Amino acid sequence: MLKQYVVDPSMLPWKNGETEGVTFRGQVMLSGDDGGPEAFRFVFDPCIKVYAHMHLTSQFQVLLGGFMDLPKETMKLRPVAVHYTDHNVSYGPFSVGGDHHVLVLHPRRAGLVTMGNRDARRKINLTGRQISGMEKDTEWVAIAGHEDMRCKFLLPPMTGPEAMMLECPPNMTIPVNAPVYGRYEVVLKGGVVMEGRALTPPGLRYVEGDEQPSPLTTGPEGATVMFFSFDKDAREGGLAGDELSMLGAEAMAKAI
Amino acid sequence: MIQDTQSTTESQSATEDQGAPPFQAVFFADFTCPYSYIAQAQVDNLIRDYGVKPLWRPHWLHPEMPPEGRPYAADPERRKATLAWLREMEPEKAEPMRLPDKQQFSFYAFEALEYAEDNGLALPFKSAVFDALWVEGKDIAQANTLMEAADKVGLDAEDLGRALRERAYTLRALEAVLTAAKIGVTATPTVFLGRAKIIGWHYYEVFQSALAQQGIHPRPATVTAATA
Repeated sequence: MLKQYVVDPSMLPWKNGETEGVTFRGQVMLSGDDGGPEAFRFVFDPCIKVYAHMHLTSQFQVLLGGFMDLPKETMKLRPVAVHYTDHNVSYGPFSVGGDHHVLVLHPRRAGLVTMGNRDARRKINLTGRQISGMEKDTEWVAIAGHEDMRCKFLLPPMTGPEAMMLECPPNMTIPVNAPVYGRYEVVLKGGVVMEGRALTPPGLRYVEGDEQPSPLTTGPEGATVMFFSFDKDAREGGLAGDELSMLGAEAMAKAI
Repeated sequence: MIQDTQSTTESQSATEDQGAPPFQAVFFADFTCPYSYIAQAQVDNLIRDYGVKPLWRPHWLHPEMPPEGRPYAADPERRKATLAWLREMEPEKAEPMRLPDKQQFSFYAFEALEYAEDNGLALPFKSAVFDALWVEGKDIAQANTLMEAADKVGLDAEDLGRALRERAYTLRALEAVLTAAKIGVTATPTVFLGRAKIIGWHYYEVFQSALAQQGIHPRPATVTAATA
């Protein structure tokens, strides 16, 4: 069985939001209300200290503009960058600025839990991963048999969750693997047809299941597409009936 | 990040038994790391609540640093942000902090820490050295700074000065630094808390969870005081 969602952000409204004094504009790309994936597009106003928080599922953040600086020296993120956390892994505080633009991608509704909540700190995933990668730090890799295509791994497959950027020529059909734990496919440049819908940046498709999804087809100008594949952590966590879940769901609903 | 390790100490469940030796936590840190500075609050809490016996060991963040130090590479905005983050993470401990004008050389302070260890005052001495750098804005690569810190905690400052001049603790400090590298310490602070290896700064509640997972709970006196 295969779950598929296709999102054309040009059709979605923008809303102003605020959480704990941090202001932003955002689009709800996927609500997760049906038990499926949850995805947001945010443009944060410059902020020196976005409060430390966690989400209750795995998360990819895709930095498309501006900057995101985390305390760890190796996490001064510049576009295109990806920041991944397992469920219940806290991150931050962090700074955002420049022409900030980020996608936040969850396999399911994830909630938003501030680390100002001392009880929530006890629910931090003690063995969870927090990893990042930037386009500028990775080299293009040629694809054997496809001289007109190349790719780079911002998060290499060996780390578990994977983030791959693929540059393709015009009018090319790209077959894709079965996304067992779920995968976001995001258009970064050019145009792609997904499920019969022509998408421009940052249009996306989410697929999950043990069947092979339909291939992607690039438009006449070619395309750069990123693939964000979850691993088994995507099956962990999420919103349940406990107090932390309710607090997290409430905080996220209030923010967006 | 926290990893489960096999480096279990013999006394890991000692706090469960009256009269048993105190549970030991090993903190690998560098005096020049601001996150190690605020991690002292966690250590103080572990001592108070669990009777943990902390052991401070050096992890040399910047062995390439010359003794005279060097200007910070980070831009002013990054420095401003770092201070803001520290004050959110550990408000009380970070409140008096100020960022030094330059990156400093920490190895002489590691030598002095070995001296303090031999004289039974490593714990207060490390606090004094941290304060000298992060609160008082002094250069901890200067022998005078380390001697003042020694004097504050009741160590013989002149004797420490002599030990530093004669490099009496150089080899020991170097061995300690190499040990940290050998056991895989790559970040500061890194804390070995029984079977748990806690990498980077974390909230105190995370330490409590790591201890609870090993069957270690706050001392009864602490529970009584906290719930009274």
